[in-house]
Amino acid sequence: MTPLFWRALARHPLRHPWQLGLAILGIALVVVAVDLANASARRSFALAMERIAGQATHRIVGGVSGVAEAQYVQMRVEQALRPSAPVVTGYLPNADRPGQLLQILGIDPLAEAPFRHPAADLSGADFDIRALLINPAAALLPEALGEAVTVQHGEQRFTLHRAGTLRGPELDGLIITDISTAQTLLGMAGRLSHIDLILPDGAAGERQAEELRTKLPPGLRLERPDQRNQALADLSASFSLNLTAMSLLALIVGMFLIYNAMTFSIVQRRSLLGLLRALGVSRRELLIGVLGEALLLGLAGTLLGGVLGLWLGSALVHLVTRTINDLYYVLSVREFFIEPIALAKGAALGVLATLTAAWLPAREAADVPPGAALSRAHLESGWRASLPRFLLGGLILLAAGGLTLIFSLSLAGGFVGLFLLMIGCALLTPPIVVGLVGLNQRLTARCGLLARMANRDVARHLSRTGIAVAALMVAFSATVGVGVMVDSFRGGVAIWINDLLNADLYIAPAAIENGNHRTETLTPAALTALRNTPGIAAVSTYRAISVDLDGRPVVLIAVDLAPASQAGYRLIEGDAEAAWRAFQSGEAILISEPLAYRRGLSVGDELELPTDQGVRRFTIAGVFLDYGSEHGRILLHRAGYERYWHNPTVGSAAAFAAPGENLALLRERVQEQLGPMQSLLIRSSRAIQQRTLEIFDRTFTITQVLRVLAILVAVIGVLSALLALQLERAREFATLRAMGMTAREIGSLVLLQTGFMGAAAGLLAIPTGLLLASVLIFVINRRAFGWSLPLTVEPGLLLETLALAIGAALLAGLYPIWRMARTRPAEALRVE
Amino acid sequence: MHNSSAFIQIRRLTRRYLEGEQPRRIFTDLDLDIERGAFIALLGPSGCGKSTLLNLLSGIDLPDAGLIEINGCSLTEMNEAERTRFRRRHIGFVFQFFNLIPTLTVEENLFLPLELNGLISAEQRDRALELLDHVGLGERRNSFPERLSGGEQQRLAIARALVHGPLLLLADEPTGNLDAATGTRILELLLKLHRQAGTTIIMVTHSQEVAGRADRILTLDAGRIQELAR
Repeated sequence: MTPLFWRALARHPLRHPWQLGLAILGIALVVVAVDLANASARRSFALAMERIAGQATHRIVGGVSGVAEAQYVQMRVEQALRPSAPVVTGYLPNADRPGQLLQILGIDPLAEAPFRHPAADLSGADFDIRALLINPAAALLPEALGEAVTVQHGEQRFTLHRAGTLRGPELDGLIITDISTAQTLLGMAGRLSHIDLILPDGAAGERQAEELRTKLPPGLRLERPDQRNQALADLSASFSLNLTAMSLLALIVGMFLIYNAMTFSIVQRRSLLGLLRALGVSRRELLIGVLGEALLLGLAGTLLGGVLGLWLGSALVHLVTRTINDLYYVLSVREFFIEPIALAKGAALGVLATLTAAWLPAREAADVPPGAALSRAHLESGWRASLPRFLLGGLILLAAGGLTLIFSLSLAGGFVGLFLLMIGCALLTPPIVVGLVGLNQRLTARCGLLARMANRDVARHLSRTGIAVAALMVAFSATVGVGVMVDSFRGGVAIWINDLLNADLYIAPAAIENGNHRTETLTPAALTALRNTPGIAAVSTYRAISVDLDGRPVVLIAVDLAPASQAGYRLIEGDAEAAWRAFQSGEAILISEPLAYRRGLSVGDELELPTDQGVRRFTIAGVFLDYGSEHGRILLHRAGYERYWHNPTVGSAAAFAAPGENLALLRERVQEQLGPMQSLLIRSSRAIQQRTLEIFDRTFTITQVLRVLAILVAVIGVLSALLALQLERAREFATLRAMGMTAREIGSLVLLQTGFMGAAAGLLAIPTGLLLASVLIFVINRRAFGWSLPLTVEPGLLLETLALAIGAALLAGLYPIWRMARTRPAEALRVE
Repeated sequence: MHNSSAFIQIRRLTRRYLEGEQPRRIFTDLDLDIERGAFIALLGPSGCGKSTLLNLLSGIDLPDAGLIEINGCSLTEMNEAERTRFRRRHIGFVFQFFNLIPTLTVEENLFLPLELNGLISAEQRDRALELLDHVGLGERRNSFPERLSGGEQQRLAIARALVHGPLLLLADEPTGNLDAATGTRILELLLKLHRQAGTTIIMVTHSQEVAGRADRILTLDAGRIQELAR
């Protein structure tokens, strides 16, 4: 291959910069589609964990209220357990910036040096870490927080002043204080979050750890920070997986776009390619030439994708972080981090996707006969001859997808099945489009020439229209699938929460969530006052704590339920009456559906729970429907909780009004009675339901963003397919103009055609989307989260999809029409 | 050559193209009169502007200066929409490369000008199908153009150009892409239809034999038009 050959090929894209840009943009979107934001959130999580753990190899952790400070003193002094360091950590909102959570890390500056780098490094900088000891309002603050910051705990506000500066994005959102300051801030007087230890490596360390375990009092455990971090990281794994699935969808649509862009450039150069063949360039050389060009485009697109990804990722990371904060654990790091490996993964996928998508156009280029342009008729008859193969291939993939879903039990198997089904449906699209054109012929026969031509054109130019319709179909079926899934999910959650929150008033301390359990409790006096408030007929109490099941945190809710509250729990397994009877004893538990699904538990099985009196076995009396946590929740009667945990506190209460009681007045009365005793949030069930659905909607914001991205890519794909078609048909349109058809009529012809393509894509997207939704609901959600959802289809969503698909296709047709209207028919006819 | 009652009157017609930044003159101040029902052969070397002249006569191209009047209607004073309507109603076009619509059947290609003109009565359709029989394609009415031979495609193109009864038929080397025998048969067909309908024909050709069958032979060279003596 000579330099001139390359030059002949390369000049074309350089002379068509818009087209080149479109191709590069497509590839860039593929790169962006790879979960950059997701990767960033994972990275920020790892940083948050690292900065707490530091160099610690082990840590001693306690139950709900942590570790008593006295135990640390005893271990350090009496057992000479060193190096050891106390840690108090938690999250508090920035009082001046609503929505910003700051991570408080309380340390002992004297014991700290071996553990955490920031502190060690900072000691030699512009301040003395010992200043923290002297001034209770002193803190090490990140630069962005300024000279002072005010944090809020319940009703109280604390202002911390800068005693030193934490530098670097990994320390964003972190405040380091002395341990006693952190205890005051977090309301943990005399308590520690955990004790960090550095044990020697190898067998000696293991021996020491074993020895330590035997000496620990009941309720305390020794664990490795990395194990705990992994367990926490796994918490959001299914959320990350869903994001990855959406990203993969964008990848499929992006590949359609690259295919279209490459095909377009081949179509434009068909005569050049024929000429090159006539001059002695071999098929293989042309194939390599076009693939080489695709490779260069892939590299350029990857570069742009990297830049776009960094920009988009930094925008999306807030959405991802917010969702993780809402649902899983608190991440104060909101800066965008990207690891080279994530970029490398994106780049590799971008180039690979480009080469894969360019393969067919490159083959088309190599098939151009020497000296002559390959006729459209020849190309199209090849496609028509391939229709049975598309049909067969599509059906085989559908069958393979179905079998994968049936026989695989893992979530990954579910996704593989889902994508096989999607690609199967995409392959079925061209034959179905031809069928639709046939059906439509009778209708268009009465609608005049333009409609007839437009309808038939879709089938006659299948090599272009088939791909475009398939790309649109995939994008819109994702819209339907995800939309129906979200609607079904939302519907299920709304019914569930409506049943569950059937009390009139909910009373809780003004607390923030720390992990999965509340740190603040209702005072016994406030609870008694609530029970004695006139107009209150019944009260249910709740206390949520986090218990470890095989190293993974699960929420245990200790409840004392009024009969009406009990009715709010829908038991889906076990005899309800017998279950509740056993439950009242405090020796049997009820578990949520996700927990039962994940651990293969059912009624009659036993579950070991770590209590303050060591590990205890509880019988499972029933399984209840629950969307509260994908990791499962355990319901235990308060009697059992008080028996096995030394913590008689109540986290929140639900109150039922006596019949005929005015709720507004009752609320005021409760406020009057309890207000002087404790700062409380008194909310109606409606307010909590609203808040729950707000969080739900926020969770799916990122999904919506990715949906829009997929649709955008599809529209660009249709645009390039239509441009290719318009270019190929320039002389046909010029002939029609010569015969007296106006530019407007030809514009109508193109619009009718694109409208038909959009309608076909929209119509096909509905069954495909419903199939996708069924798989998402009955397989993916079940395997990822363990809950069963009702399938709810809103007709409005389906109509909206059809309208959007037609609208998007019509929109994509506007530019080709504009270009066509500007083309002089005389010019087009002259080029023969 | 000037005749104010001529069917086609061309006065001081000028057309140039830009080649890069350099203007290239195709013709300047061209004058021509053509009488109704004439069969005109237009000869000239490649690139002399023959096709451009046909495009100007059909109104799909516009001159830089000058006037074109067909049957008393000034094409050069019409706007785009009016020119299109005029072309649709009064002009038929036959191209060297047939330019049939690949997505329409033979019959649909034939009906296309009728439908564009709103002439879709049963009588018009019957007449069109008669014409199709006349050009020997009655049996192929449901075929698509790609199934036809070159000669068949051109016969269909001629039928399509005449089906709506145009005043003027413009033919751009209609036999140029056909073998000699087929070319001769196409020419005979054109002449026969010309005699039956009395349509004015302007045909661009390189063939002296074809030109020899015309009523008048015009040559275009270096921007000047001349009539060859017969």
